[in-house]
Amino acid sequence: MVRLITHNLLACHVKGCNTNNFPLQFQDVQIELREADFNADFLRGFLPKIEWNALVDAARQLGDTSLPQEQPTMIDDDFLKALHHVLLEIHVEEGAMVCPNCKHVYPIASGIPNMLLAEHEIG
Amino acid sequence: MRDPYLFVFAQVHEDFRVPEILSIAELNGFTIAFSESPDPSRPFMVLELEDEQHARILARRCILIKAIYEYYGRGSTYEELHEANKGKRHLWSRYIKNTSFKFNVTAHNHTVPQWRQREVVESFSYMDFQGEIDMKNPDIILGCFEEYPSRSGTTREKHEGDGDFIQVWFGRLIEDGSARPLVKKFDVKKRLYYGNTSMEAEMSLLMANQSLASPGKLIYDPFVGTGSMAYTTAYFGAQFFGSDIDGRQMRGKEKQPGIIRAAAQYGVSSRILDLCTFDVTHDPWRCGELFDAIITDPPYGVRAGAKRLGRKKYRPDLPRSSPASIDDQPYIPPTKPYELAELAKDLVLLGRYLLKPGGRLVFFLPTVTDEYQEVDVHTMLCEGMEVIANSLQDFGSWGRRLVTVRKTTAETYPAPSFDAGISMASRAVDGVEEGTSHVPAHQDFRRKYFEGFRKTGESDK
Repeated sequence: MVRLITHNLLACHVKGCNTNNFPLQFQDVQIELREADFNADFLRGFLPKIEWNALVDAARQLGDTSLPQEQPTMIDDDFLKALHHVLLEIHVEEGAMVCPNCKHVYPIASGIPNMLLAEHEIG
Repeated sequence: MRDPYLFVFAQVHEDFRVPEILSIAELNGFTIAFSESPDPSRPFMVLELEDEQHARILARRCILIKAIYEYYGRGSTYEELHEANKGKRHLWSRYIKNTSFKFNVTAHNHTVPQWRQREVVESFSYMDFQGEIDMKNPDIILGCFEEYPSRSGTTREKHEGDGDFIQVWFGRLIEDGSARPLVKKFDVKKRLYYGNTSMEAEMSLLMANQSLASPGKLIYDPFVGTGSMAYTTAYFGAQFFGSDIDGRQMRGKEKQPGIIRAAAQYGVSSRILDLCTFDVTHDPWRCGELFDAIITDPPYGVRAGAKRLGRKKYRPDLPRSSPASIDDQPYIPPTKPYELAELAKDLVLLGRYLLKPGGRLVFFLPTVTDEYQEVDVHTMLCEGMEVIANSLQDFGSWGRRLVTVRKTTAETYPAPSFDAGISMASRAVDGVEEGTSHVPAHQDFRRKYFEGFRKTGESDK
């Protein structure tokens, strides 16, 4: 768990941390690969929501270089298969996500990230 | 060209029947016509469909459908029924030759004695079916249902009142409902992981159908708890995302999170996209319009009170808590109670932000039966969000309503501010005048529950 699809949707939400608060940086991660159902419609529908550079960088940080640096304009089956694997089959089980701006550490334990904030961070 | 079909419903959750079939019809892109306004208290309804295949789709997905028949007729007496049935000869004449058949004569709220079942079958002899009677594998099954008034709570002889039915219905079986066994499959007691706030299987299935769960959809529960709705929505093919302010509910005691273990039991763990610990009023979503549906049973304070980050009162005497304070313990920030009426309003605003256009918000709202008014549900609405179903599960002095709201707007709205106490007037909607003093029956629900729903003015003696 903490798949890259989730990572691509989460930003640091500490009060006042509004710039450079995405994407969160992985730290000390343990990864597992697990197969998921392939659904082309789901991927096509989700593509407009993806921050492409953040996805490619996160994948490379975790050792997967199957995605091109530039988002292709032609969406073919090979591309969708690669996208499927990166978005849905790489699971970060342990480690943390760190805000590049305020350095807040969001720990990940047994695949569940803790995105709670401390009292002084909610204002 | 529409044809009438006889729907036979399970004798539970009557308020949920029509919303469920309308949802599954919408999910599959067809419509259902009502030739008469349905009486939801009765388990028989005649509804019009464009295609027999639509009846099959409904029978395979709707939890509350027992069976669907091609409709031949009804009557308050057998004479009336036979008259109607003779008028439908063009529908059944093709079965007269070379078709094996079977007659089922049953009753609702009654048992028809064997000797009269035979009599009823013989009364249809004018149909002149020449095929074999085959009790095991007939080509067609004809169903005759006598509907009796409920006589629960009274004692009577075994067959007393036999024949005094309100109505008798007749038709040819299209398909038996095959979704009802899912209620057993998802039985909470047989689940590997559950808690004392887990939603019963039948309701979590009905909620999944209201959310139009299907392959390719992304569905979110912001109060996921022990994941009751995760399993049913994922079973119908949707991708599911859950979050909760309390991670312990999602995890349980073993290393592998409880929700994942239970999902694996149902073969759907790969569709639990992710689980996340955060407070819905301080959420980390980068953008809105992410989900096809939001499905949730908000904590309304009886077994589990709603909480949000913050303190009840500002306490300058206490040191500020900080995530780094204790090294070996997970940091648990302070929380404060979250009033149900506020939570419900925030949930609708959150739905408008996070749902795609046309997406659905499906959630339970507990209300005090005596105080409930139709306007209550509207007090929490906002522009661009429209109630499309509101079904009561009645527990007597209180009940809970499964509310389905559709996002009708394609405009982009900002994330809600979650500031409790935004004036009611700014959310005034049709039927609610500005400055109204009406208090919805779900406000302060927890206190009313523990006071036993006494009427205002009654006091302790």
